[in-house]
Amino acid sequence: MKRKLLFFKGIYKAIRNTFRINSIQSVISLAFTAVTVFALVFVSVTLYSVFSKTAERNAASSTQQIIEQVNINLDNYLMEMMEVSNLISNNLSIDNLDDLSNILSVTTGIRKDIVTLAVFDADGDIVVCNPEGEYDKNYKVSEQKWFQDSLNNIGEYNFISPHVQRLFVGMRPWVVSLCRGTKVQGSPETWVVMVDMNFSVMEQLCKKVSLGKRGYIYVIDQYGDIVYHPQQQLIYVGLKHEDIKFALEKEDGSYYYDLMGERRIITINTVNYTNWKIIGISYLDEIVENRKSLSTLVIFISIFSLLFVIAASLFVSAKISEPIKKLEREMKKVESGNFDIDIDIDDQGEDEVKSLSRAFNMMVKRIRNLMEQIISEQEAKRKSELKALQAQINPHFLYNTLDSIVWMNENKDYAGVTTMVAALSQFFRISISRGKELIPVSDELEHIKSYLTIQKIRYKNKFTFSIDAQTEALEYKTLKLILQPIVENAIYHGVEQLYDEGIINIKVSVEGKTVLFQVTDNGYGIKPDILKNILNRKEDGKAGQGGVGLKNVDERIKLFFGEQYGIEIFSTLDVGTTVNIRIPVIE
Amino acid sequence: MKFKVLPVILFIGLLLLALPIGCIDNNNNLSVSEQKKTVKIIAKRKKSEFWDVVRMGAEAAGKEFNVNVEFWGPTNELEIDKQIEMVREVINEKVDALVLAACDYVKLVEPTEEVIAAKIPVIVIDSDLKSDKVKSFIGTDNVGAGYMVGKTLVDIIGENGNVAVMSFIKGAASADQREEGFFKAIKDHPGINIVTTEYCSSNIDLSEFLTYKILNEHEGLDAIAALNADSTVGVARAVEKRGLAGKIRIVGFDSTPDEIEFLERDVIDALIIQNPFSMGYLGVKYAVDTMNGKPVPKIVDTGSRVINKDNMYLPENQKLLFPLTDE
Repeated sequence: MKRKLLFFKGIYKAIRNTFRINSIQSVISLAFTAVTVFALVFVSVTLYSVFSKTAERNAASSTQQIIEQVNINLDNYLMEMMEVSNLISNNLSIDNLDDLSNILSVTTGIRKDIVTLAVFDADGDIVVCNPEGEYDKNYKVSEQKWFQDSLNNIGEYNFISPHVQRLFVGMRPWVVSLCRGTKVQGSPETWVVMVDMNFSVMEQLCKKVSLGKRGYIYVIDQYGDIVYHPQQQLIYVGLKHEDIKFALEKEDGSYYYDLMGERRIITINTVNYTNWKIIGISYLDEIVENRKSLSTLVIFISIFSLLFVIAASLFVSAKISEPIKKLEREMKKVESGNFDIDIDIDDQGEDEVKSLSRAFNMMVKRIRNLMEQIISEQEAKRKSELKALQAQINPHFLYNTLDSIVWMNENKDYAGVTTMVAALSQFFRISISRGKELIPVSDELEHIKSYLTIQKIRYKNKFTFSIDAQTEALEYKTLKLILQPIVENAIYHGVEQLYDEGIINIKVSVEGKTVLFQVTDNGYGIKPDILKNILNRKEDGKAGQGGVGLKNVDERIKLFFGEQYGIEIFSTLDVGTTVNIRIPVIE
Repeated sequence: MKFKVLPVILFIGLLLLALPIGCIDNNNNLSVSEQKKTVKIIAKRKKSEFWDVVRMGAEAAGKEFNVNVEFWGPTNELEIDKQIEMVREVINEKVDALVLAACDYVKLVEPTEEVIAAKIPVIVIDSDLKSDKVKSFIGTDNVGAGYMVGKTLVDIIGENGNVAVMSFIKGAASADQREEGFFKAIKDHPGINIVTTEYCSSNIDLSEFLTYKILNEHEGLDAIAALNADSTVGVARAVEKRGLAGKIRIVGFDSTPDEIEFLERDVIDALIIQNPFSMGYLGVKYAVDTMNGKPVPKIVDTGSRVINKDNMYLPENQKLLFPLTDE
């Protein structure tokens, strides 16, 4: 069982792989086909069963009508025979035997189906008969049951089912007899009139009708003896069997009867005077034949509808899936790195696919833009980092500082040397910070303090400075070396040329989610037209040039933290300049 | 949605292609006329009352199963060579099956097996053939029927008496087997003396002549057992003509109208009747079955029964004795 299951799964997989069952085209085709097959099967089975039921009903009713007709004909025939019998009965008289004999001979002459007409007296002796023959002495009419019955029930028509008539020597015909006991006119005697008929008329009546190819009609009497059967002799010798009991027990009507796996319709109809029963046997094979032709038709139509559906579904699914496939191909290109794609939307068929293509185009465009953005950003970042690095190891600054140290050493200002060297060392330590981009605010402040210390010495105390930070802010991290270029700017362009003592104040505070660095000097200030351009200035690459450092810091912050952060400059001529640096709180 | 024209055209083309196929199919069904098969019957004799009934049965079957039935046979049962010739001719004829009543148990084996070798199935009726290649044997259990003759005879004449036997052809299976059965029945009754056994060659006149001879040669004869229709009629004629009806009891075989008349006139005491109609009918039926590849029984006993004056008009017997002729 399990192995079988596995086997089928394997087959399914193989089919799936060969036909790519998961593709939209095949899914649509299969679904289409499956639905149609289901519908077709349903419709054809329904049609078929309805049709075959109707056909069966029709067959039964037409059989019934046919048998009804046979019944009427047989009835008429038996009436005729009764009339023959009446004619004889009405002319019975002891005195006029010649007339009677004439009637008999005329009647038998006209009617070929009448084998014998005979009149017996109460002792069973023949009064008249036609045709005449040598009376068989072995045959005692008076002992026969039919004779006695006729005598006992005068006036009644007594039909005797087929038997061998043995009245005459050398003549042994099979006949059906009609006997009737009749009072003789003008005499107390009772005679019996006998009409012997052969089967020819009955055979004609029954044979003429056709119940399909193989169907037939037979007639039985009230005791179940066969009156007529197309294969009477076969039944007599026992080669054929007819379920007479079944027919005898049933009322008039149609019944199904299964014999040896074959279905027949048995139709029973009783003949009026005789209580004979006409039984029609019709085989269902004609109906089966109709059914067969119907089923071939149904199969034929089904196959063609199926072919049509398959073709249609292949076509439709191809139509649907083609633009999707195209889209897929374009996407594959994108997957392999080609973003220069713009799918032609007009050509892409259905609305859904169109909007999909549109969305895809937009996506690709956006990705393209983002990528360009990223590339330029990365470039800028690299540049600014380089600049920061350059700032870190500004050779000017370094050799000026070293000059100052040498000079101090020659003046034997050893304490100054110590301070200077310590500050320089601190400055570079934090500058480098093991390559880290983010350092604690406290380190940044330490760094700027070292810088200011060095510069203060170098500028011979031309300015004073103060650093004031909220303790809370010290914990946070900041992008390193953002203060140094600003302070440098303040020194070179702000306080250097002052006659008065310059003041540089650095303040750090936390405002909600922002850390604010504020560098204030009391220098000349910046002219508004310069100020306006200072952050937008085109780079000309001159390191250390005032403003360039400012812009660089601003760009670095914006690259790192986003556009809402960066530098603001407020400057009033002859009063001073304040630079605000905002960065986000980073734990 | 734009409709591509090509697939539509292709599809319509496909439909048009299919339509004539459907029509052709129907035409074929209508035009194929069924080729009627032919079953040939070679009887022991072309014409006799017994074989007429066989023929009736065969024709009834032919009608029922829709086959042509050809009925053949030599003019008398002694013409074994003629029958052999007829059987051989079958091979060259357009015959689909052969139903044979063998005139000789042995001599007909060879030609019959030639027919079988030519892929024509053979069914044997009435008189068996010494061959196991035939599809089926349909006939009276002749040994049993012969035994019935003996028993009936003893019932009529009692334990003691002189009895003559009128058989028909030495070497024909049916004759040999009936004799065998008859003598088996007589063996149990030592008082019965079989005076002679004659063979009339299925010839009524010869049978009558031989009966005169027996009557002349054996005085004090009590009964004659006749083993087929012709022997019976001949014996009955001779006995009646000699005025010995009722004195020499006759137990005969078969039920021809002549025999029935003798029975009714008390010349014949009893008849063992067979069922020739069934032989003919079943012979053809099984031939058809064989052609259609259906299995058929190897041996079919069509039955036999004893008929005398008292029971002959019982409904079940008159149906056998007086076959309904089918015009």
